[in-house]
Amino acid sequence: MHIAICIKQVPDIAAVRIDRERMTVVREGVQNIINPSDYQALSLAMALKSKIGGTVTVITMGPPQSEEALREALAAGADRGILLTDHAFAGADTLATSHVLSKAISRLDPAPSIIFCGNNTIDSDTGHVGPQVAEELGIAQVCGILDVQAESEQTLLAKRMGERYIETIRVGCPVLFTVRKEGGTAILPGLGSLQRAFSAGSIISWDKEELGLSDDETGLAGSATRVWRLRATPLKIKGDIITGQAQELVQAILRKLESMSLVDEDQRHE
Amino acid sequence: MNLEPNMKQVVIRRTVRSDAENFLAPLTAEMDRTGRFPKEWRSFVAAKQYFGLEIPKDLGGAGLDAVSACIVIEEVSRVSPAMGLCISVHNGVALYPLHIYGDDYQKENFIRPMAAGDSIGTFCLTEPNAGSDASALETTALWDGSNYVLNGTKIFVTNGGVSGVNLIFSGIVSESGKKSFTLFIVESERKGLEKGRPEELMGMRGNPVCSISLNDCIVPSENRLGGEGQGMSIAISTLHGGRIGIGAQAVGIAQGCLDASILYAKQRIQFGRSISEQGAIQGMLADMAAKTEAARLLVYRAASLREKGLDHGKQSAMAKLLASEAAVEAARLGLQIHGGYGYTKAYPIERFYRDAKVCEIYEGTSEVQRMVISRALLK
Repeated sequence: MHIAICIKQVPDIAAVRIDRERMTVVREGVQNIINPSDYQALSLAMALKSKIGGTVTVITMGPPQSEEALREALAAGADRGILLTDHAFAGADTLATSHVLSKAISRLDPAPSIIFCGNNTIDSDTGHVGPQVAEELGIAQVCGILDVQAESEQTLLAKRMGERYIETIRVGCPVLFTVRKEGGTAILPGLGSLQRAFSAGSIISWDKEELGLSDDETGLAGSATRVWRLRATPLKIKGDIITGQAQELVQAILRKLESMSLVDEDQRHE
Repeated sequence: MNLEPNMKQVVIRRTVRSDAENFLAPLTAEMDRTGRFPKEWRSFVAAKQYFGLEIPKDLGGAGLDAVSACIVIEEVSRVSPAMGLCISVHNGVALYPLHIYGDDYQKENFIRPMAAGDSIGTFCLTEPNAGSDASALETTALWDGSNYVLNGTKIFVTNGGVSGVNLIFSGIVSESGKKSFTLFIVESERKGLEKGRPEELMGMRGNPVCSISLNDCIVPSENRLGGEGQGMSIAISTLHGGRIGIGAQAVGIAQGCLDASILYAKQRIQFGRSISEQGAIQGMLADMAAKTEAARLLVYRAASLREKGLDHGKQSAMAKLLASEAAVEAARLGLQIHGGYGYTKAYPIERFYRDAKVCEIYEGTSEVQRMVISRALLK
C-alpha cells in the first residue's frame, strides 16, 4: 500500500500579530510549522501504515525552506519527502496549487492508493486543495474526517464529523481524505528521529520542468482567483453568561452541552 | 562564521519547548512546593531520548550534536530549571565520561540503560571537606586482591535520590602515601552504598539532591572507569563539558525570566497604561535580553568547539560564568518588574529567583571559573 500526504508549511498563526496602523501581518520572529490539520493527516497515515504496512510519501509545494516541514514529517515516520519548488509556483491560488500537487501525485510510482490532505490551512483556510486534487485525479474523496481504519485490503472505514453527528463511510481505493485537526493523537517525534530525519533521509526536489508543466499552468498565471484586498476584522468572542448558584450553573452548563451533543445522558449521570 | 541555528536545531527547539510547556509546566509549582521528582515527566522524555542526547543511535541515544544538546537543556530549563539540571547532569557529566572513557563492557551495561532513561546518572566529586578543592577528597578505594573497597561520603549529589548509576571519585593511596585519583562506576543497589535524605534546597526543588555514603562498598575492577590515577584528568575534561550544560541551563533560566517578565509587563496596568510602556521597565527588559543572548552565543560557541574536538576549557568556563550571572541578573530584574506580585508564589519569577543562584555555585563556582580563565590567559 502506498500512501501519499500533501502538507503545507504555514506561519504559526497563534504567534502572528496584525499591525493595525500599517494593516500588515507582522511575521517577525514567527516560526513556520506544519499546518495542524496536515500534521493530523500525517498522524492518521502513520497509524494506518503501522496496521497495514506500506510506504508513506509526503509532498509539499513551497519555497526551498519547506524542506524543514518534509524532514519533520520524516521524523514522524514518513518514508520519503518530495519538495515541489520553482519560482514559477509562487503566487498560486488553490486551483494552481492543486494542479501542481495532482501532477506530482500522478508521477508517483506505484500510484498511491490513499491520499491524505489536511482539511484546511490556518493561514488561508479555504479547504479547497484536497477536493480539487481529488477532482483532478478523478478519484473518490471523503472530506473532514476524524479517523480512518482499514476494513480490508481495498476498503476503508472513515469517520466524518457533521454538525451534530459522526458518520462512518465505507470507501474503496483509490481515495483522497481530508483530515480535521481535531482528529486522533498527534505523533510526537523523539529527538533521535529528528536527528536522523535532518541528517539523512531523502528529499526529492521536483520543479516545473520535471513535472512537465507550462508557465500558464502554475503560479499567478495558472490561478483562477486573486486576493483583491485583505483587511483585519475585530475579534468577536461570542458567549453566554450564566449566573446563579453552583448547582444551577452545573445544570445549566450540562443542558447547554447536551444541546450541542457534546455530552449524552450516560455521561451526565457520571 | 555562521551563528544561525540550522534547520534541525530550529525544529528541536520548537519540539522541546512544546514538550516542556505542555507536559512539564503544569507540574512545576507542585514540584517546587513538595520537592517531588516528576516520574511522569521522566517516562515521557525517556521515550523521546532526552536521557541519551549525544549518545549514538547504536547505544540507544539520540545522537545529537553538542549545540542541539544545549538547546534541549536550555528549553527544559526555561520551564523547569530543576529538570534541566537533571538532564544536564545525567547527559553532561555522567554519560559523557562513560561514553568517552568506558570500555565495551561498560558501554553496553551502563550507557544503554542510561540512554533509555531506565537508569539516571550522577557525578560524585564533592565531599564535606572537598568542594572547589577537589584534590582534598577523602573517599578511598583499597584493592583487596580481587576487588576495590570504597569508603567515604559524597554530598550535594544532583539526581542522587533517583539515580541508578553513580560515578564516584576516590583516592587510591599507595604505600608511599601518594594519592592517585580514580573513578568508579557504582550502582545504587550495590551493597555498602547508602543514600541520604534529599536536601531541603532553596531552589531546584524537584531534583532530589542528596548525599551518598560508601561503607566498605565492594566494587569489581570492571567498574573502574579509566585507569588508576586517571580520575582527575577525566574529571577535568568532564567538567569542561558539564559547564557548557550548566551554561545552557542558565541561559534557559534567563530566557524563562525574560519571557515571564515580558508577559507580565504587557498585562500590568498602572497609571492608566501598561507598565511595558514605561522606559524604566523597557530598560530592564532590554538588559535582560542582551545579556541572555550574549550568554547563549558563548554557550553555543563552547559547545561548537567541543563538537569539533577542539580545546574548550577556557570557553566553557567563560560561558558558564557569564550565563550564570545572566540568569541571576535576569531573575533579579524580572522579579523587580513583577513588583509585589513577583514576591509571591503566584508567579514563576520567585521560583526562578531561587533556582538561578546555584548556577553561580555548582559545577565550579564563579570564582573557580575566573581562576580557570585567568590560568589559560596567563600560562
